[in-house]
Amino acid sequence: MTVSSYLQRRWDVVLQLTLEHLIAVGIAVGFATVVGVLLAVAVYRNDRAVTVLLVVVNTLFTVPALAYFGALIVLVGLGWTSAITVLAIYALLPIVRNTVTGLREVDPAIVRAATGMGMSRFGRLTRVELPLAYPVILSGLRVATVLIVGIAAIGAYVAGPGLGELIFSGLGALGTARAIPEITIGTVAIVLVALVLDGLLALLGRFSTPRGLR
Amino acid sequence: MTALALDLDEAVVGRRQRTLLRRARFVGVPLAVALACLAMYLYVQSQDLDNIERRIITFANIRRAAGEQIEIALWATALTLVIAVPLGIALTRPWARRIAPIVIAVANIGQGIPAIGLLFFVYIQLVRSGSTATVLGMAIYAILPVLRGTMVGLQQVDRGVVKAARGMGMGKGEVLVRVEMPLAVPILLTGVRTALVLTVATAVLAAFIGGGTFGSLIISGQAQGRPLAVAVGSLGAASLAILADWVGGIVEDLLRPKGL
Amino acid sequence: MSEPMIRLDKLTKRYPGHDGAAVDAIDLAMPKGEIVILVGPSGCGKTTTLEMINRLIEPTSGRIFLEGEDVTHVDPDQLRRRMGYVIQQIGLFPHQTIAQNIATVPRMLGWDAKRTNARVDELLHMVGLDPSRYRDRYPKEMSGGQRQRVGVARAMAADPPVMLMDEPFGATDPITRERLQNEFLRIQEDIGKTIVFVTHDIDEAIKMGDRIAILDVGSRVAQYDTPEAILSHPASAFVEQFLGAGILLKRLNLSRVEDVEVATGEWPTIDRGSTGEQARAQLRKSGRSHLLLLDDQRRPARWIGAADLERSDAGTGDLSGLGTEVQACVDLRATLNGALQEMLLNANGVAVVVDREGAYAGTLDLDTIIAAIRRMRAASPDGDVPLDPA
Repeated sequence: MTVSSYLQRRWDVVLQLTLEHLIAVGIAVGFATVVGVLLAVAVYRNDRAVTVLLVVVNTLFTVPALAYFGALIVLVGLGWTSAITVLAIYALLPIVRNTVTGLREVDPAIVRAATGMGMSRFGRLTRVELPLAYPVILSGLRVATVLIVGIAAIGAYVAGPGLGELIFSGLGALGTARAIPEITIGTVAIVLVALVLDGLLALLGRFSTPRGLR
Repeated sequence: MTALALDLDEAVVGRRQRTLLRRARFVGVPLAVALACLAMYLYVQSQDLDNIERRIITFANIRRAAGEQIEIALWATALTLVIAVPLGIALTRPWARRIAPIVIAVANIGQGIPAIGLLFFVYIQLVRSGSTATVLGMAIYAILPVLRGTMVGLQQVDRGVVKAARGMGMGKGEVLVRVEMPLAVPILLTGVRTALVLTVATAVLAAFIGGGTFGSLIISGQAQGRPLAVAVGSLGAASLAILADWVGGIVEDLLRPKGL
Repeated sequence: MSEPMIRLDKLTKRYPGHDGAAVDAIDLAMPKGEIVILVGPSGCGKTTTLEMINRLIEPTSGRIFLEGEDVTHVDPDQLRRRMGYVIQQIGLFPHQTIAQNIATVPRMLGWDAKRTNARVDELLHMVGLDPSRYRDRYPKEMSGGQRQRVGVARAMAADPPVMLMDEPFGATDPITRERLQNEFLRIQEDIGKTIVFVTHDIDEAIKMGDRIAILDVGSRVAQYDTPEAILSHPASAFVEQFLGAGILLKRLNLSRVEDVEVATGEWPTIDRGSTGEQARAQLRKSGRSHLLLLDDQRRPARWIGAADLERSDAGTGDLSGLGTEVQACVDLRATLNGALQEMLLNANGVAVVVDREGAYAGTLDLDTIIAAIRRMRAASPDGDVPLDPA
């Protein structure tokens, strides 16, 4: 069986797994963005808190995916929840790091000017600092997305969603005709998903960044 | 494609913070790992293990798993260095200005490949040995950070320094070895550290293709419905990865030339 | 004429895809032991010319001679070890100590450690840095001016007969630059290297140069002569424009106090031991408003006016407590420009001139300087160079 004949026969499955993949990544990135930005906003003014947060997030990032899945099998069991939780943990590092960087790199003179005009601390954050940090935050989001598209493949091991299922199924069918096409299609499709999402986020950055910040 | 990097967090905080961060890591990280492992040991001791658990969770198995994982990671990192550093040097030479962006783009896509797919592919198509396939797959996977580290490291060397060196009559090779490379070391090392952590972490996937490592404890524990074995394997894998990052950080500090 | 240290023969550099040559067949001879300045507007090709001399840029055509030897095609690395090289960015190796930096070329030339170390210390002394304090420091632990001194020391390490300097003091603040320039001139007095020095600053060129080549686009030599000759006889409108306004003030930088007539009898002087009575008599006789009190080494101490003497105890008082301290004091070797500035700062418009030991040598007033300017104008081909209303 060749890759093309496999696709002809089972394109609907591939399409469905691709959609699942996108949904899982989307939920994980969304969740990580909310948590990550909130954490970053909470600590960015305090050097010590920033240090602690970064050490923790970095360490979480270092742990192998399989170890997380192992732990979550014990705690939560198999399924989407485990897979998406792990993806969100990995997405946290780029998002937290870039948000902190972006917020800390805002020119202090601008913040002082905002304060001088009578903006409250909340106003400064939402109307000055976060908008100025936006391009950096967005690029963190982009790194996170591309990163977990790849990691999501392992999620199939815990019966998670997505194209990983093809890869594992191919490995399981080692020796049969469909092994190679499945692994190849699963892998290539994931790379394509990553490239497409990367491109889309780049475009988003292009159009949503105010011209003055580009 | 924007690449991941574990390394920039130190650039975010100031110099004083960096020292603090370093100190916190130096003592805190191994301490935390040791405590977690001790807790797991005591917990396992307190449990009444059944036959299967007793077969999976043995010191011999844990030692072998750790050994396999470290061995795979070291070979993969070594292979990566052998390929990526010379390639990075070559691509920063003036004659390679045209092809450098192409190679970088290919390397970027290379890292976008899911590790698991890459691994299985190498295993099925190239070598039917779990650990060798993992070494090869990981090396491909880890080339990008080292390549990038080498290139960025060399590119950020002050042009004035290179010009002065040339002007004093150093040959091109001499400038590379005695000036450019030492000055590129800090950034190069960050890339190497990323590669090391990446390979130690992803080496557990070798378990899927019979390459051992802590992944095998997780997988056989899962297959036989023994969560305790899964937990031990997970903790082992996580500890190794965290310690690899820790060692990498220390090596980085030690090898950074004074005066920078 | 004896063989020049460096001779450029129709040296040309063309870049593919560019109209015209970056350096267009320049001919230039640099005599041994002189500082030759290449000066010109940005983009004129002066740096390209300099970098062709040590072949960091390979010439398209033409030849380079070093002490009569054609070095256009010799091994460039070997050639560069025979020439010191200082650039604006300095380019110290940040991962090496100051001593290691300076030892770069000696090490390449295979000197033994003892000789190298001795040389490093000698050079650090020469550029005014205490070896015991600085040799083991890293570049980042030093100030910009100190780094630039190390850069010069490094270039001189193997005692090359030739030094190439590309805007060496360009990145420093004006005060540091002035100090570095003076130090360098002092060092050059002892070492007498042949120096090719690139700058875009005409004032620096006039100050540092034994000879100046003013370059136009394509490194065409608009004029090549001594600073004095260029200032008094600009060869073309381009040169005049490049010299800019205040050309006469620039010339005042070239004339020294010892070149003009220093008045010795203009103002009355009196020794420290004298009485108030003697002083009053002296002052009356001269018909001036003040007299100058000299100390035991005949150094000018104070200006004393008639009113000060009236107030003092006639005949008994110590004169050294009277009047005001002498402020405008210039050496015989100071430039007229320096003297003029001292004069303008001083209340009675007079500069006191001292000799090398600091002893009183005479006075200099505004009239003398104006007379000097008149003579310069008379020497110019067209006498109508505007006199700045000084």
